[in-house]
Amino acid sequence: MPCKNYREALIEAAAKDSAPSRELRLHLDACASCREAFREERQLFAAIDSGLRVTANAEVPASLLSRVRAELNQRHVPQRSWLPAGASMAAAVALVAVVVFVRGLGRDTVPINAFVNSLARQVSPAEIQPDPRVGAAIEATSPSAKNRTVWAAKSAPVARAKEVATLVPAGEKQAMDALLAGVRQGQVKADVLLAENSEKALEDLQISPLAISPIAMKPLADIGAESPASPNEKPMR
Amino acid sequence: MQELVLIQPGRAAEKEFAQEAAQAAFRREFEERLAECGPLAYRVARGVLRNNADAEDVAQEALLRAYRRFARLRDRGRFRAWLVRIAFRLAIDRVRSSKRREVRETLWSETWPRPSTEDLAAASEFQAHLDRAMEELAEKHRLVLLLGAMEGHSLEEVAEMLSLPVGTVKSRMFFARKQLAEKLRCHVKTIEKR
Repeated sequence: MPCKNYREALIEAAAKDSAPSRELRLHLDACASCREAFREERQLFAAIDSGLRVTANAEVPASLLSRVRAELNQRHVPQRSWLPAGASMAAAVALVAVVVFVRGLGRDTVPINAFVNSLARQVSPAEIQPDPRVGAAIEATSPSAKNRTVWAAKSAPVARAKEVATLVPAGEKQAMDALLAGVRQGQVKADVLLAENSEKALEDLQISPLAISPIAMKPLADIGAESPASPNEKPMR
Repeated sequence: MQELVLIQPGRAAEKEFAQEAAQAAFRREFEERLAECGPLAYRVARGVLRNNADAEDVAQEALLRAYRRFARLRDRGRFRAWLVRIAFRLAIDRVRSSKRREVRETLWSETWPRPSTEDLAAASEFQAHLDRAMEELAEKHRLVLLLGAMEGHSLEEVAEMLSLPVGTVKSRMFFARKQLAEKLRCHVKTIEKR
């Protein structure tokens, strides 16, 4: 068989870096020029591999990782705002305007009683769990608190849906805080938050009838006789 | 009528603390990956760009990009493969933009990066031809060759990194080496004749 027929097989064997097939080996034994060509091909592939290793295994500069770390650290440091002072002022004014608008909206559309009633409907005693997030409390405050309540309800719908709210008089807030802290830390069982006799039906509220005593009307003459009028006082007609 | 306010004692502080702890854990995990895979990103970029400074820039960009998207990576075990792709893609983009710039600028322009004397001294003539021949290969072949030539990478690891069957990696490597040989055969003979 002529040498050119072995050309492709010779290159493939060199490229695969494997031993030549039996047929090719027999030809190489007999043909000096193909043996030389095969040697050159193997040299060529060895040179390619060596060159590739040089390219692929370049020494990594020591500065690389420190540069990346420095960049990461820089991103964590809060940077000074690029906004000019005027823009900050405008943003603050806009924020105040939005707050005023929302408060006005809340006053018109969501009465406080509606909010409290909806809160009461969403939370039943059976839902109370010893969750660390339990801690929302409601306390009596100044008249402006009404709007704040509406604001909180609008801005935190998740809290309204999932958290237990507690109504406490202003004077008992500290005690309630201490109780909730105890529940959170596991020192107090959350069972105490449940009514002791939750199965027992609430009794009707007994309201005693309002007693109004009759007003005694006395004639003016009798009043005049009882208390003498002062000399400057004009007589009544 | 009694008026009420809704308060959530201690909740903001707890949330803040949890966020900080999560962020610190996230950063620690990324730091580990950075030390392990940073060199890989550089070498991939260097293999494409053949310039140390450009490769360092690209590797840094790839690592920062990986950090920004690290939280979105579902399988953290795929980080190496993911980083290799980011670095390779960024390096290819940089080569392309350099080529566009080359077309715009005149050949004698000072802004076009030329190989330094150090580079010229280090690189043999064959290496220069090889690098040029590599550039002409298809991207998929070039990446397989680069990763396969890196120390400590077996065919199986390259296959895993590229999410390819081992057989595909083998055939791509074979094809790529043959193409390189075809391009370089004449140069080897010229160099040997001198």
